[in-house]
Amino acid sequence: MNKALDELFVYPKELVDEESKRIINVVRQWADKEIISKRQEYRENYEKLFTEKSKTLNLTIGLQRLILPEEQGGFGWNNPANAPGIASILTEIGRADAAIGVATAVKYTILAAITMAPNFDKALCDALAPVYCGEELKTFSLILPGMGNVGQDTPLFLGRSILATAEPEGDGYVVNGKNLRPINSGAIADLFCVVCADKVGKPCIALVPGDNANVVRGRTLQETGLNASFNADVSFNNVKIPKSYVISRQGVVEEIYTWLNLLLGGVSVGTGLNFFEMVGDWSETRTIKGGYMMKENPLCASVLADVADEVFTSRLFLYDLAQTISKPNDWGQSGSQRVYTVSQVIGSKIQQNVMRAINRGLELMGSAGYSKEWHVEKHWRDIKTIQSYLCGVGAEAPVKMDTARFFFDCKDI
Amino acid sequence: MKNFDEFSKPEEYISPMDKHIRSVIRNWAAKEVMPYRRKYDEDWKDHHIIEPAFDKLMGNKGVGLQKALFPPELGGWGIGQSDSAFTVSCALAEEVGRADTAMAVAFMVTYWPLTTILVDPHVNWRLAKEFAPMFCNSDKAVFAANAMTEPQGGADIENMEILGGKTIRTVARLEGDEWVLNGHKLWPTNTGGVSKLFSVPCTTKPGSNDPNDFAMIFVPADTKGVTQGGPYEKAGMAADKNGDIWFEDVRVPVWYRAHGPGMDAQVFREIIPWGLAASMGFICGAMLNLYEILYDFVSTKTYKNKPLKEDDHIASIIGRIAGDIDICRILTYEAARMGDRRNKPYGYPIHSDEVACKMRNLKDFVCDRAVDVFGKAMDVLGPFGADREYDIEKHWRDIKIIQLWMGGKQLCQVEAARYFFNCKTL
Repeated sequence: MNKALDELFVYPKELVDEESKRIINVVRQWADKEIISKRQEYRENYEKLFTEKSKTLNLTIGLQRLILPEEQGGFGWNNPANAPGIASILTEIGRADAAIGVATAVKYTILAAITMAPNFDKALCDALAPVYCGEELKTFSLILPGMGNVGQDTPLFLGRSILATAEPEGDGYVVNGKNLRPINSGAIADLFCVVCADKVGKPCIALVPGDNANVVRGRTLQETGLNASFNADVSFNNVKIPKSYVISRQGVVEEIYTWLNLLLGGVSVGTGLNFFEMVGDWSETRTIKGGYMMKENPLCASVLADVADEVFTSRLFLYDLAQTISKPNDWGQSGSQRVYTVSQVIGSKIQQNVMRAINRGLELMGSAGYSKEWHVEKHWRDIKTIQSYLCGVGAEAPVKMDTARFFFDCKDI
Repeated sequence: MKNFDEFSKPEEYISPMDKHIRSVIRNWAAKEVMPYRRKYDEDWKDHHIIEPAFDKLMGNKGVGLQKALFPPELGGWGIGQSDSAFTVSCALAEEVGRADTAMAVAFMVTYWPLTTILVDPHVNWRLAKEFAPMFCNSDKAVFAANAMTEPQGGADIENMEILGGKTIRTVARLEGDEWVLNGHKLWPTNTGGVSKLFSVPCTTKPGSNDPNDFAMIFVPADTKGVTQGGPYEKAGMAADKNGDIWFEDVRVPVWYRAHGPGMDAQVFREIIPWGLAASMGFICGAMLNLYEILYDFVSTKTYKNKPLKEDDHIASIIGRIAGDIDICRILTYEAARMGDRRNKPYGYPIHSDEVACKMRNLKDFVCDRAVDVFGKAMDVLGPFGADREYDIEKHWRDIKIIQLWMGGKQLCQVEAARYFFNCKTL
């Protein structure tokens, strides 16, 4: 590959300022030096190196504090205008390892609900930042509403069952919920962000420290991908939390979805870019029909074009969404119905595109695409895992309904 | 619908053995595979858990399937002489594939090279007698492999129509009454130390595209000069080991060649439809299992406090999934019937362009639908889609390689174009 990724996969560079570009470049160097150039070693010692590389990224480079305000010791990227820069950071991480990307995306999504202007909650940030964004690597986990079980009648968030409750008790809240499935890190999380129903069934989010004795974790799940995430089902049995740990402002759950769609979109675009690099190398070193370089065969070239097309458009979609979030005066806050719906549509489209890109590219790589030695199969498994989690219920049923509701003013769906 | 057996298949064409075979294998799967299959991924290298299940499927103390293709006179079941050989194979592929497609491919690839010497009208009795004891007298599972793919060319070796074997670098040289083989193969199913017997597609004249210079030569795995590498680590299909094989001055008797000049190229073309039909059978088996799991899931999980299956939108998705399974099964049995018509006046020989191209077309279609259906089913499961507890993700990982193997999607497309549009240069 003779051209740099940014020359090929054009994006609106003006959305990212020079200071942000400097940090993004540092993350790219981390990705290249720490993981991409050492894929084999990284694969063979994955669990150990996952933690080491995560620490380098979060503590040495300091990304754990990226979206904290400067006065809280952060980088000060806590304004919606930073959305394109944050998405770029996630793209660089996703290019190296989607699992580190997901952990980072979830952390930023949760922190965004606390730190992002205009909803910066200084008291809560002062309480949480020293513990969860300090000198130790901390893991955040997110529990969204989703499917219910037959026989249950649950409060709903736009059709999705809210399986946890947060009810006031004394000077705080009590959180309850059985066998809830986080989207990541249930087995190891230091802090959970749980979408709960209050006592009248209205959605809110509760922040639950993982070291509470009444937080019960199930066994670590074995999943298709993202296994370094160490996910597990979690139960909250009358977990008491301070009153300030519950955020119930209008649209807060929508905000969570909006940022999650953007940031997981960034992760998947990054993974797609690295897959593009890999399949590009493959197509230049393999011959077919007794001597033709693979990429020079028109049929193979058309498959390669599909790969590039899907990743290319995904990256454009990503920055479209980032730009929409970054301009609340034009389009509304991240929790507004418009921005939330746009994030659902684009978030879904990016995951589908990147999944298709990898599926198509694997067709050319044949068995090598399936072999762990070539590393692309990890990208394939990781992206499918992200996509499955984002689908939520019944193959994106809620996303479809959200979209129809916004564009067609549906009232009863 | 009563259960997954109701998915369409041509009842008037299926083998009289169908019901019995399905029942036996379904019992084996329920007892020996289903309870353990979630542990298979970690067992990819050693097969501590997988091997006993194979023994009970293939060996004489179990179902004994590894001898099924051999003639009864040699201790087998005579399926190679049956008019329903393809249809029976599809049923076997489905039932084993429902439990684990990797086990299905490992077991059925044992038949694959043997079809060249055991299936009417090309039975090579001398070789059949030579190898029958290896498979018919063993209590343990005994595997065979078709060592086809070479490092330099990927699917080129299967592109016989255009390349005619001219890219093959594994060379057989005749010395007295022995063939001397040299070459390097990779990725065959049942390598990585598993196989007892290889068939080796090779050339007697490097660079030639003359069918007379193409040879299929059988090589017992313990022959001096055969070296097998360890198994590759893969995204799935743990029960199917794949690795490298090197042949270095390997000597076998001259009569270990399947049939001889010309006919070897023909039987090599004939094994392709076997592989394609079986591949479709594996896919159908996995799809039937998907349906079982999905049925339970959409009946017990809710959206808007109603079972998923009772939501109109979700019903449209699962309806399409079930519809695709039904169509794929119909197409799979049509492919099998195409194979079973090979000796009939109204059929085509299985080495013909008609059968090869139509079967590649069907395999491509069924695989495409499977990749889509399994991906969509994982999406229906949402946060549970990637969870190994639900088994759909295992099938999702496994069926992708079925799409990729045997030349993959692009070879299927090119062969379809070549046949349907009379392309001359593809």
